[in-house]
Amino acid sequence: MHSSSSTEPVASSSQTSLQPSVVATTPGAPICSAVVDGSASKQSNQRARASRTLDPRTKLFMLLVANLMLFFHVSVITQIIMVVLFLIPLAAAGRWKLTMNFALTYAVLTGLGLLDPEALGLPWIHVVSALAVGCTMMLPCFITGAYAFTTTSPSAFICAMRRMHAPESVVIPCVVVIRFFPTIAEDYRQIRNAMALRGIAAGGWELVRHPAQSLEYILIPLLMNATNVAQDLSVAALTKGLGREGTHTSRTEIRMRFVDWLMMIVVLIPLALDIAGVIR
Amino acid sequence: MAAEIYSNNVSFTYEHGDKSALIDIMLSIPKGQCIVLCGTSGCGKTTYSRVVNGLIPQFFHGEFSGEQHTCGINTTADPIDKLTPLAGSVFQNPKTQYFNAKVIDELAFPAENMGLSPEEINHRIAEIARRFNIESLLDRSIFHLSGGQKQRIALAAATMLSPMLLVLDEPTSNLDSVAIAQMRELIAQLKASGITIVIAEHRLAWLNGIADRYIIFDNGHIAHEYEADEFLALSPGCIAAMGLRALDLQPYRQRIKALESLTDTQLASTSDTNSSGLASAQHDDAAAAHSVSSPLLSTHDLVIGYRGRDSFSRSIPDLDLCPGQIIGLMGHNGCGKTTLVRTLTGLIKPASGTVLLNGKPVKPRALTRAGFLVMQDVNYQLFSDSVREELLLGLDESDPAIIKRCDQVLEDLDLTRFAGRHPMSLSGGQKQRVAIGSALMCGKDLIILDEPTSGLDRYHMEQVGELLRQLAEQGKTVLVVTHDEELAAGWCTSIINLEHNGSTTNPNS
Repeated sequence: MHSSSSTEPVASSSQTSLQPSVVATTPGAPICSAVVDGSASKQSNQRARASRTLDPRTKLFMLLVANLMLFFHVSVITQIIMVVLFLIPLAAAGRWKLTMNFALTYAVLTGLGLLDPEALGLPWIHVVSALAVGCTMMLPCFITGAYAFTTTSPSAFICAMRRMHAPESVVIPCVVVIRFFPTIAEDYRQIRNAMALRGIAAGGWELVRHPAQSLEYILIPLLMNATNVAQDLSVAALTKGLGREGTHTSRTEIRMRFVDWLMMIVVLIPLALDIAGVIR
Repeated sequence: MAAEIYSNNVSFTYEHGDKSALIDIMLSIPKGQCIVLCGTSGCGKTTYSRVVNGLIPQFFHGEFSGEQHTCGINTTADPIDKLTPLAGSVFQNPKTQYFNAKVIDELAFPAENMGLSPEEINHRIAEIARRFNIESLLDRSIFHLSGGQKQRIALAAATMLSPMLLVLDEPTSNLDSVAIAQMRELIAQLKASGITIVIAEHRLAWLNGIADRYIIFDNGHIAHEYEADEFLALSPGCIAAMGLRALDLQPYRQRIKALESLTDTQLASTSDTNSSGLASAQHDDAAAAHSVSSPLLSTHDLVIGYRGRDSFSRSIPDLDLCPGQIIGLMGHNGCGKTTLVRTLTGLIKPASGTVLLNGKPVKPRALTRAGFLVMQDVNYQLFSDSVREELLLGLDESDPAIIKRCDQVLEDLDLTRFAGRHPMSLSGGQKQRVAIGSALMCGKDLIILDEPTSGLDRYHMEQVGELLRQLAEQGKTVLVVTHDEELAAGWCTSIINLEHNGSTTNPNS
């Protein structure tokens, strides 16, 4: 009991303090519905945390729905409704900054897409609005993807995938991808620092001015490191039996709760109505 | 037979390797022994550790011959999974050997893969956490732990399945002396519980009293085998001749202390010549260097830090970095070395106070132009297809003066032979030199190196030391962030220890 009461403040404080500066790519605060041990106080703490995020399976479902939206080419109204729906869980998980960024980007892009070049008498706006529309169509996938991959811990993800009887050949790459995100963010910062020291494309503007060159300077070290990291991770995972045949268990408990089912139904409604032609 | 590890005529050549990494290794390690594999870089010690834990030939492919038994498992015939519960492994890089974001999940990971029941897993986690004293870390994200804490977690995860054998591949190469002392304690504890331990390691001093036997590798062969008492009785010269790191760090530590207090006393008394009985020759060197040149970079009332998630700030005693000096920056992990270095190179803004470049207060931008940081992971800093292009990057290649300077820099850094090679195909030390070369080409005056000798053997460490000296002789100001006592004691002209709060290093005032 005493141990749990001493660790609890640490856990909860790190939880809240982690949120503000977490950027798109950091699954720094893995919020999973783990039950740590029998201690009652800890369980309540876990439950409080669990209520802030959805089951990994729901997240994957949302990602699927977002992709279906792209496939069915839904109307702008449906799109707006869906984006709002997708942003709610992200905000609920405490990713305020990420939520705001997505919301703003979406609003600006939608605004650009709605511009009427004829009325403005500026034909080149066509290009801008066409690009903007393209981006708005992809944004729901990014939002749900970011939500699925940055708010789920690898262990919760493994557990969910195994529950769905996904083959190991699908599970393991997915987990590696989740593990990779924070590494890439960190690598990117390092590379930008290295570029600044060399005086290559120091500012953001320079980066945009020579996109091909910048991409090369960033991508090559990034990929070089990625191969090293991938090898190290595989070795570590191998010696710990990740690829072992036979049953794997999980101490991370995940379960579908009422909110999960509700979310799944709610996101389906606008899509169904759109496909049925009710929303135009 | 009581041998936990038994190698009979083991030879191995990596898939794309041009020579054998191991040749006819015959070794038998009884249960409960602690064995140290040592030797220069590329001698085969890491390769042998991979043979022991089955990664060779099952993950790293190549030509394998001979017979290897580890904990009764034939590693060539049986799948590597069979070794999972029997042999735990810890690797060199703390950053890339954990799979889960949270400590508790990482500990559970091997047990989950073995299919243990959740109750059993939780029970084991509780026990391991108590044993390794990591209870307070369980709910933390591993990404935000220090290197020492990460290695502690890695060791804890490796013992989750109560293995009979632990294989550690250079576990301390990124750790400071405190973290190494803690690692030593844990290893001693594990050995006492009867686990067989195999450690491939450069830094040998921390293993005194724990290791039972030392195996010296040389070019893929076992050159020597020593019992611990035999090995520890060898003279330092003999150890050095084998290319090994020092067994006794005491003289190095004393020298560092002397250098630290030297820089301290110089602050108090530049006119006062009788500055205690310190190594007088070095004192003269340092004093001479100071008297001729005014500081390139100095700080005044500097407070470094950053805001946000793990906000951090600390005040830095006023520093003066002069051309021709090699200044060692020491202190434990988390005392702000990296933050200070990033501030001095203008990558982050100081929280308050000023940094003066050639006596004038300057903006971070100017610092980025004047200084260069050789990162611990130098791979991030190489952008081009060849060494020559790397050096000419961003410069006017048609200017003969620049081409001439490039040739000179290549020559100085012993890189002429590699001018046409791809930087990524070079060894770690060569990459370091290319990065330094690029800094010299940009005309940088302040060169900062972050842990340039982590994971290096004695020969390569000395090579780095010589390089530092060469840079200093060219009139560069060299600042080296290091935990490596041997490097600091051997090559630095002054040492700043950030740990000692009161330590002000300001030789010129």
